Amino acid sequence: MTVDGWFYVGLVVGLASTIICVVAAVTRKKPNDITLVSLAGVELFILVYAGASLVRLATGEHLAGAGWEFWGYMFTAAALPVAGFYWAMMERTFWSNYVMGAVGVTVVVMMARMAQIWYGLSPAVQHLQPGIGQ
Amino acid sequence: MKNKLSNTGGTPDAPAPGRTTGAGRLLITVYGIFAISASARAGFQIATAFKDAPLAYLLSAFAAAVYIVATVSLARRGHKWAVAATVSICIELAGVLVVGLLSVFDARAFPHATVWSMFGQGYGYVPLVLPLVGLWWLYRHRDRAAAAK
Repeated sequence: MTVDGWFYVGLVVGLASTIICVVAAVTRKKPNDITLVSLAGVELFILVYAGASLVRLATGEHLAGAGWEFWGYMFTAAALPVAGFYWAMMERTFWSNYVMGAVGVTVVVMMARMAQIWYGLSPAVQHLQPGIGQ
Repeated sequence: MKNKLSNTGGTPDAPAPGRTTGAGRLLITVYGIFAISASARAGFQIATAFKDAPLAYLLSAFAAAVYIVATVSLARRGHKWAVAATVSICIELAGVLVVGLLSVFDARAFPHATVWSMFGQGYGYVPLVLPLVGLWWLYRHRDRAAAAK
């Protein structure tokens, strides 16, 4: 998998959100503006990444993998912060911060998969990716 | 929006004690993530390469169905849903153990991986740990579940 700037930014934004939410949860804080903004940051990043990916594809870049798989990941990644927000807000205890913390790290994993689909798998890591596309 | 977000008055809640609240919501979240990713994966495998390994991909679909049932029944209140959650999580545990053992000792029988292959190695072994946590959670809340009948 080729790692590009998008992945690194996604890694930082996603992990930052997870760390912020987990720290807030460990200190038994209810979801507050900081944890909610960190979740919104993840959503914003995915939306920018989706827009930029559309532009890149329109200007001649090509996906190594299947387009609908890539956009399936993109759609799910965009839906996760929204779903996490609703699921967390239905019960405002410090546990909701753990729920929101799960979003960032999941989005990072999905960013890694999207990078693989964009650039293709290098043979060295192919055996690490079970199932899909073999 | 501001009002809604700043409405945090009062002391922080202690973790709510019910099966579907507090830490239970986090458990449901993780199950939900696995339900989505297992379903998407099984759908992708069956749609694109079903002929390569129908058994492995049907197993993927079965795993996805188990995760969906577990997620829904964990999220619902009541004794019947607790029983449904217990049964589906037991099936999940059996699945990850059987498929995990088979993929270790008879790798050729499972050339096409599923979420449970190698005890869920491709998913950071979460598929192996998750049913144990789920059963422990259900066990801890057994009385409350029975009382809600």
